[in-house]
Amino acid sequence: MSFEDDLRKALRHEPAPPDFAAKVLARTSRTPTYRRAAVLALAAALALAAIIPAAVHRYRRHQRALEAKDQLITALSITKVQLQQMKEKIRRNTRSKL
Amino acid sequence: MKKAFLFLAIALAAFAQQTFDFKTLDKLGAKAKESTNITLEGDTLKLAVNFLEADNASLKPVVDNLKGVYVRSYEFDKEGQYADADLEPLRAYINTLQWTKIVDVKEDKETSEIYVKPLPNNRLGGLAIIDAEPKEVNVIYITGDLSTSDLAKLGGNFGIPDMKFLHDDKKAGKKSTPAR
Repeated sequence: MSFEDDLRKALRHEPAPPDFAAKVLARTSRTPTYRRAAVLALAAALALAAIIPAAVHRYRRHQRALEAKDQLITALSITKVQLQQMKEKIRRNTRSKL
Repeated sequence: MKKAFLFLAIALAAFAQQTFDFKTLDKLGAKAKESTNITLEGDTLKLAVNFLEADNASLKPVVDNLKGVYVRSYEFDKEGQYADADLEPLRAYINTLQWTKIVDVKEDKETSEIYVKPLPNNRLGGLAIIDAEPKEVNVIYITGDLSTSDLAKLGGNFGIPDMKFLHDDKKAGKKSTPAR
């Protein structure tokens, strides 16, 4: 075989496989992986943006309620002590008058 | 026209009754070594009541219908660290409310007062305690619906003297100062 025959063989026209066009089209329409990851990240960020403030608000409300409850118990304890001291004073006063 | 003025006067009086700035009492504690300032009202008070746990459950009926709880408690290192005059605006305010003074004890340099707002059916619309000692001042002001038994519960076995005064007044047909 001559060099010319080899060249002709190498450059001869070969038809594309029948599903070639479909495969190319399928590849081009498929979303790239990085894009999908970005969409997921964005969705996660949006979900967190919605959840975190609500959780923080709930936590703060809970803390405020606990603090208020402690204050209420302190207030009632002081009231109790005061009422008992008043009772003692009244008793002392009554005795001294008798 | 007269009616309008009367209405305005009543409205102003009602407004004046509802407002006492408890922050004005904070100056009492300027030189205190220990101080407790508590102001609970509105949503904060409701939150506190709702958060009372099982171990405080017995308090719940006592505090369920309260509207406001104000406590100012100060302890001082030495005498003369506060001016009794700073308590006068509160006394004057309570006088405008026409609450009944059920305890008024004066011993040496100490003054102890209890005021209540009597309501029908052994109920109280409020309680105020002013206790001024040389090295200690306590002011307690509670508004809302309280039963006399709640008050007795709150003060341990106290409550009998003052509540008795109220009941004796009623039995004897005496008119106590009308509560608003």
